[in-house]
Amino acid sequence: MTAGSLPNQRTNRLGKYVMPYLFITVPMISFVVFLLVPMVISLWWSLNDYSGIQPAKFIGLKNYIDLLTEDKYFLPSLWNTTVFVLLGMGIGPTLGLLTALLLNQKVRFQSLFRTAYYLPVMTSLVVVSTIWVMLYNHNGLFNSFLTTLGYQPVGWLSNPNVALVSVAVASIWQGFGFETVIFLAALQSIPRELYEAAMMDGANAFQKFRYITLPSLRYVIAFVYIYGIIGSYQVFDQVFVMTSGGPVHSTSTVVYYLFSKFQDLRLGQASAIAYILFAILVIFSYVELRMSREKE
Amino acid sequence: MKTNKVLIGMLLILSFVLGACGGGAQPAASNEKVTITVWDYYGEATPVKPLIEGFQKENPNITVQYESMDWDTTLEKLNVVLTGGTPPDVVTVDMTWFPKFAALGAFTDLKALSGGKLNGAAWDQAYTPGGLEAITYNEQIVAALYDFDVYALYYRADLLEQKGLQVPKTWDELKDVSQKLAEGDKYLYQWLPETFHGSQWIYENGGDLLSADNKTVVFNSPEAVQAIQVYLDMLTNKSAIYWGADQGERIQGIKDGRIAMFSDGPYNMGIMKSAAPEMAGQWRVALHPYGKQPGSYLGGTGLVIPAQSKQKEAAWKFIEYAMRLENQIGVYKYAGAAPALTAALQSPEVNAVDPYFGGQKPFEVFLEAMKTAKHFPYVRQWNDIDVAFSTAMEQIGLGQKSVKDALDEAAATATDAMSK
Repeated sequence: MTAGSLPNQRTNRLGKYVMPYLFITVPMISFVVFLLVPMVISLWWSLNDYSGIQPAKFIGLKNYIDLLTEDKYFLPSLWNTTVFVLLGMGIGPTLGLLTALLLNQKVRFQSLFRTAYYLPVMTSLVVVSTIWVMLYNHNGLFNSFLTTLGYQPVGWLSNPNVALVSVAVASIWQGFGFETVIFLAALQSIPRELYEAAMMDGANAFQKFRYITLPSLRYVIAFVYIYGIIGSYQVFDQVFVMTSGGPVHSTSTVVYYLFSKFQDLRLGQASAIAYILFAILVIFSYVELRMSREKE
Repeated sequence: MKTNKVLIGMLLILSFVLGACGGGAQPAASNEKVTITVWDYYGEATPVKPLIEGFQKENPNITVQYESMDWDTTLEKLNVVLTGGTPPDVVTVDMTWFPKFAALGAFTDLKALSGGKLNGAAWDQAYTPGGLEAITYNEQIVAALYDFDVYALYYRADLLEQKGLQVPKTWDELKDVSQKLAEGDKYLYQWLPETFHGSQWIYENGGDLLSADNKTVVFNSPEAVQAIQVYLDMLTNKSAIYWGADQGERIQGIKDGRIAMFSDGPYNMGIMKSAAPEMAGQWRVALHPYGKQPGSYLGGTGLVIPAQSKQKEAAWKFIEYAMRLENQIGVYKYAGAAPALTAALQSPEVNAVDPYFGGQKPFEVFLEAMKTAKHFPYVRQWNDIDVAFSTAMEQIGLGQKSVKDALDEAAATATDAMSK
């Protein structure tokens, strides 16, 4: 052992054991202070009748029971959100995959198209929603087109049977560029040799898609759906800007309803809604992860 | 060892959190320098911001930290700070927010703080009885009414004149005039499916939303059902236009001729003048036609001091300064809104001939409407009542339910909410 080896060893040990903890200290503090502590506080509030101004009154699970059994608007809001998720997840990723498949061909100006499809994703949801409100307007582009063809204008945002679909369409348009870019990146990482080998074996385009493309994308598909479902269940901005939950609560979603409870300083009920939503998302994420692991 | 580390970590977090929560300013002695924070939701045309320079000159010990934000943001931030414990010292508050905040005791009693006087005069001399009632809760005065909002009828005087029609004063006359005015999808009465307008029709028929003691829901009483039926008849006979989310801003409807009559408050005059200057001379205002008696909701802006404010004395000085006659006139001068102080409303600067409204004195009409207007009930469940009633109004307007069924169902929902 040389004279200088002991301090070096100490420095190495310090670097090996202490430095990683130092590096994660800041994010951990941020996680605890801004996420964990508020989550625990929110859980406590959900068990109380609490306005934030008057002292909290412990009521056990009453907020949860009321929301799930008596509240006139919570379950409809949950149903609206589920329909929104089904519409978004039914169309968005499929549209994203189709667009990615098209862009993955030898298309000229590929990067231009890619940017064009991604542009709405980068645009603020408030801006996108405002634009779509104009399009859906009584005298907007869609109704002008319909009246030109001799049809009656549609109450895109004022007809309770149509409004939720209108909000979902705007959201799909805004979001599918994200899925396109993700799928395109995944498609470009599939080895060419697989397709060449399939071609040698006489596989047609559908078979190549079914047996090479789809299996290669399974993790990306799982990611897109988990990410999409979690995001869609938290839909808020579009509803806030386009309909304020109306008409007749037909576009009221879980987070919008949570927001309205918060605005009314029903912090206990708002927290209970947040935890119900959290439970739903945990279940979805778990099922989705299990499915992708089983496929593996 | 592990336990120690966890304990130390938790103590660190605790000290951090407690450190962030503590440290509020202490009430200041009268000659000590203090800073008050003022939140203002008026936007660019604010009458509040121009007050600061003069106020600070007069009160060199008080520095005003001014923050401008829009209406929605003010409500959201107010919710957050009132529950977080570090609110501003003076806030512009929409009177429609009052039921919740007043019922929760969120604002300081200005009656006690002011020694019963506003700028040397008794409170009841400063406001109309309705105005004073609007800021009174449980015998406390919880705001200084800064501007007021009551609804009157805006109508296209040029079209009425062309067709030889008189300004409607009763519902029957309104029905007749609106039918004669309508031309297909043009020149219609704006039908709004919400509580502000629905309640106005109910008040005008001698009905109410809640009973006088605020204990019983009465918006499905025979008077109320009849009132909303008359309102609906205007839609059915195609003399009104249902104004849903896809009709756009009202001003568009005014400009493109879809709307020839509507009911709204004085603040709308400023919007029309700036957004439709080419229509100068075409519009007038009148008391809204009624069934049994004139009626309107009463709202506006109040200046409040949150209960947790640490600088209540200085904040009250600012409010008194804002409520001086010359500064109240600024509410009209800068924001085009109606100053709440009776003296300001009757001043020659405010109660002047308005060329946009054909040489009329529009504030005379709004002052008249204010005499019978009433604020929404100050009960904790107001939001539930409002949501139930406005949902019924949508269902009625969209033809989903009959007036009676919709109002009965909404009343049951509201009653259920009030029982909790």
